[in-house]
Amino acid sequence: MGITHDVGQELDGLVATAHRIREAIESVIEGKSDVVRLTLTVLLAEGHLLIEDVPGVGKTMLAKALARSIDCPVRRVQFTPDLLPSDITGVSAFNQQSREFEFKPGPVFANIVVGDEINRASPKTQSALLECMEEHQVTVDGTTYRLETPFMVIATQNPIEMEGTYPLPEAQRDRFTARIAMGYPEPAAELEMLDVHGASSPLDKLEPVATTAEVKALIDAVRAVYVSQPIKKYAIDLVTSTRQSPDLRLGASPRATLHLVRAARAQAALAGRDYVIPDDLQELAVPVLAHRLLPSLEAQGQRRRPEHVMAELVRRVPVPDSRERGFDGAGSER
Amino acid sequence: MRLPIAAGLATAAASITLYPLFRGGTWFWTGMGAIIVVVVASVLTTRNTMPRWLGPPAELFVLWVYLTMVFVLDDNWAWILPTKDSVVSLARLLGEGFDDIQRYAAPVPANPSISLLTAGGIGLIAVLVDLLAVRLRRAALAGLPLLALFTVPAAVLSDPISWPAFIIGALGYVGLLTADGRERLSHWGRAVLVRRSRGAGARIQTDTAPLSLAGKRIGFAAIALAIALPALLPTLEPSPLFGFGVGSGTGRGGNTITIPNPIASLRGQLNQPQNATVLTYTNNDNVPRYLRMYSLDTFDGEQWTMSQPKGRPEDRVSEAPMPPPPGLSLDVPVKNVATQIRVSDDVEGLSFLPLPYPSASVRVEGDWRADESTLMVFSTRDTAGGQSYSIAGREPQPTTDDLRTLPGTPDVEIATRYLALPPDLPPQIRGMAARLVKDTDTPYEAAVKLQSWFTSGGGFVYSLRTQGNGNEALLDFLNNRAGYCEQFAAAMAVMARVLGIPARVGIGYTGGSFIDGSWQVRTHDLHAWPELYFEGAGWLRFEPTPAGGLGQATARIPDYSRPPVTTGTPGDTPTAGPTGGTDANDPAGGLAGARRDPRDPDTGLAAGPVIVDTGVPVPAKIGLGFVALLLVGLLPAAWRALVRYRRRRAWAQADGAAGEGGAAAAREGRLRGQARAPETVLGHAVHASWQELIDTLYDLRLGHEASETPRALARRLVEQCELDGASASSITRIASAEERMRYARTPGRVGSLSEDMRTVRDALRARVPRSRRLRATLLPPSTLRRLRGVGEKMLDGFDRLETLRLWPRRRDLPPPGREQAAEERPLAGSRR
Repeated sequence: MGITHDVGQELDGLVATAHRIREAIESVIEGKSDVVRLTLTVLLAEGHLLIEDVPGVGKTMLAKALARSIDCPVRRVQFTPDLLPSDITGVSAFNQQSREFEFKPGPVFANIVVGDEINRASPKTQSALLECMEEHQVTVDGTTYRLETPFMVIATQNPIEMEGTYPLPEAQRDRFTARIAMGYPEPAAELEMLDVHGASSPLDKLEPVATTAEVKALIDAVRAVYVSQPIKKYAIDLVTSTRQSPDLRLGASPRATLHLVRAARAQAALAGRDYVIPDDLQELAVPVLAHRLLPSLEAQGQRRRPEHVMAELVRRVPVPDSRERGFDGAGSER
Repeated sequence: MRLPIAAGLATAAASITLYPLFRGGTWFWTGMGAIIVVVVASVLTTRNTMPRWLGPPAELFVLWVYLTMVFVLDDNWAWILPTKDSVVSLARLLGEGFDDIQRYAAPVPANPSISLLTAGGIGLIAVLVDLLAVRLRRAALAGLPLLALFTVPAAVLSDPISWPAFIIGALGYVGLLTADGRERLSHWGRAVLVRRSRGAGARIQTDTAPLSLAGKRIGFAAIALAIALPALLPTLEPSPLFGFGVGSGTGRGGNTITIPNPIASLRGQLNQPQNATVLTYTNNDNVPRYLRMYSLDTFDGEQWTMSQPKGRPEDRVSEAPMPPPPGLSLDVPVKNVATQIRVSDDVEGLSFLPLPYPSASVRVEGDWRADESTLMVFSTRDTAGGQSYSIAGREPQPTTDDLRTLPGTPDVEIATRYLALPPDLPPQIRGMAARLVKDTDTPYEAAVKLQSWFTSGGGFVYSLRTQGNGNEALLDFLNNRAGYCEQFAAAMAVMARVLGIPARVGIGYTGGSFIDGSWQVRTHDLHAWPELYFEGAGWLRFEPTPAGGLGQATARIPDYSRPPVTTGTPGDTPTAGPTGGTDANDPAGGLAGARRDPRDPDTGLAAGPVIVDTGVPVPAKIGLGFVALLLVGLLPAAWRALVRYRRRRAWAQADGAAGEGGAAAAREGRLRGQARAPETVLGHAVHASWQELIDTLYDLRLGHEASETPRALARRLVEQCELDGASASSITRIASAEERMRYARTPGRVGSLSEDMRTVRDALRARVPRSRRLRATLLPPSTLRRLRGVGEKMLDGFDRLETLRLWPRRRDLPPPGREQAAEERPLAGSRR
């Protein structure tokens, strides 16, 4: 939309950097600009991303492309049923020379960690990621090690119906800021993919377009985006509506409210705005909230997935209007 | 458990309508006690495994115990168990209650006997309702006893039931029906999956909630309609159900009158210990005159009642002289009398003016109208309390000779109305009347004979112990020869009708006593007397009630009605007709008669045709109605125009402020968190333009969802209405300004709102069909939005009422230490 704003210098820089990263990723992932933008949003919101889809649609490719386009340490973990927690966090090994225990950092000690097929690992291993994701730290043998900033986990998983998978527990799903589905590419995009990928992997040609410092600056800029009182109330209304909906057995947690507002900030910044509008929340409500919701038996019986319920709730919860006193969230019950 | 309580509540709610019958509130509490006792008995007998039939007898028994405990406690054994003494005292008290009810007119004092009667009655109704609703499970039928209770005040008083009382009563009934419906649902015993999440603020929803909510909404809507519809409909019938709105009896703007039952209040007034002054009057000849208020023309065997008086606008006493007195011919001499009356301020609710009969003109403030046939003057809006008014009267002064020679056959209309007698009139009365007058020749002589039989020959005794004026009461009266003015007047009027003399009963005041230069009329001067009709002389007052210390103290026998033997000088027995009593029972009578005799210059005028103002002609009335309707129809459009005008002013102010660098000031003000004037102005203007856009959308029926953001709305409109560049950017500017105003830290630059708004409005209007545009102009739906908002709020209120609980449901309380968990379990039967 051609709306004129007083956009600060910071935002201009942010938009430019984000645009570069986006272009870089899109040179690898064809025709998935929504997915790419959401990925960036999550990165700027200091969150973690869960990509869920059938095998072979480019989940890992997306994660790698993002990692590659930023000049920062990237580690990739392939989750398998026999993976152990220490394989992720790292181990203390006895150094024969110094006769001391020495900590060998695991793959989480990176700015971007790509966890491939996360739901193939045992729950024990999955939960080893929990502390890292939430606290940005690892504790091994009583010693706590800080993780890098930015720190982002991009996990991919196959749909839980697939063989050899362990479903992610709710607690762990709740720690992911957003979940996205890649979806099959359009025929045209697939055709182009054949042309490009046929000869060589485009990933190889991908050069980093941003530095860690730049990304940190971006994150700082996002933190400064203004969230007005009505918007906060609206976020609460949206989350509350999931807790009250008869179609849902489990609503979204307060952590979800936090994630939603953080992601909305990032989205606003990516759009070059220094304030959040309800549209940001509406757009993000499904990817940010839906994976935390459990449908009720009735809704399951009607084949209504939480995504559908969430989208309907977004259509029903009234947007805060200009009258401050109107923000009592009264409408959310209906 | 729910049903008996609902039944009790319904009875309690219906019994509230009894309030206008009583003075004081003690009856209410004893009545509530009776209901509570019945409900407790009902609950106990339904709860435990007792036989079903046991309920009503048990309730009756505890009701009886309760009544003896409350009213004749001392006679009970150990205060609880009724004894023989207590039964006897209770019966005696009951008898007194029945007597008292006959004796007093409403509002009756709530003495123990009447309270007993009331509490017993309410208790019986409660038992009946319980029997129907709880035992027989016919909740709808239980409305019948409730209705019976409900109609008691309507039957006793002719005042309409007040609408709050109606609402309470109706709510009680709806509550009973709802409780019954729920009980019924619970017996279906279906398995309902109940979701129960114990997160903060979680609400439990099941399918029964909307069901019962729908029922309640229907109930509420029905009650609201029942209240609102009669108020909105212009009534032609004079007896509206509720005492407010157009059909009001006492409120301003009413056009009907409530008929009091004057005769019922007679004895109550005469029995009152204090004898307050009701009114004082003076007149030009200083002769006491009866002042009539009501004229009872119908006798149905039960009582004398008044038919509805007719007061047309053209009969307003302020606009026209009074209608001519019926039946008075030109050759009866008439005397001019001027009377000034002042009614005491303490008189309440009197909508009929006490007047001497017949009056030629009445000067009084307010909308008072005269009934053409009876010359009663009444008002639907004003009351007589505190009024001062003056009357010019033309008193007919017939001589006994005149009366003896009257033609005798009354007008047909008069005859049909005033000779009607119930078919079940006891033959003894007919016989007695015939025997009394067998040696008289003319109706007048018969009337005089009848009167003297009552006053002297019949051996009648004045007594206030009797009651009633129906067939039975009159027969008792004629046999026992004891009664007071009510029976005297009624009996004489009935007997006159038997004899073919048109008769009616007048109610009003006697002439009172002369104190300090004026005539003072007091409560005890309230009186009833027969008025007899003689073709040519019109209605003449007779006085069968004994006068003086042993009778109605201030009653006076009119001179023309004295038997010729006693009066002697028929030449100067003038006198008024029924009410305008120049009464010469006292020694001054003859003198007064002599004085008032000669002057009668305006004879012709008195009986001549009177030019009346016919008011506004009917076509003009219809035209006026249409205009009024049109104006009402244009109200929404006018409202819309006003709103738009105010918004335009806000834009103009904002444009002015922006011109002076207001935007910068606004931003500064906003940054400092202060509400500076320019910033507020700008905010108002932006919100006004946004509201205007939304209203325009509603008017053009383009719709707007509450969850639609400004940006989304702008996008949708551009796509849906295929707006071109200029209007698209205008709408985007408006949306963006509103968006920034609401959500951004600084409001940003705002262009010319009025310009943008006009562009958008024109563009939108151009995209919809002409009919919709017309409708948007004439009947803009946006004005109804607020109204609808109010309605929604009311519904929300009802919903909240629905979820209101005095105590939390046990299942709602989360067991300690288990939070997040959500569990599902099938529940058989009802949850509530």
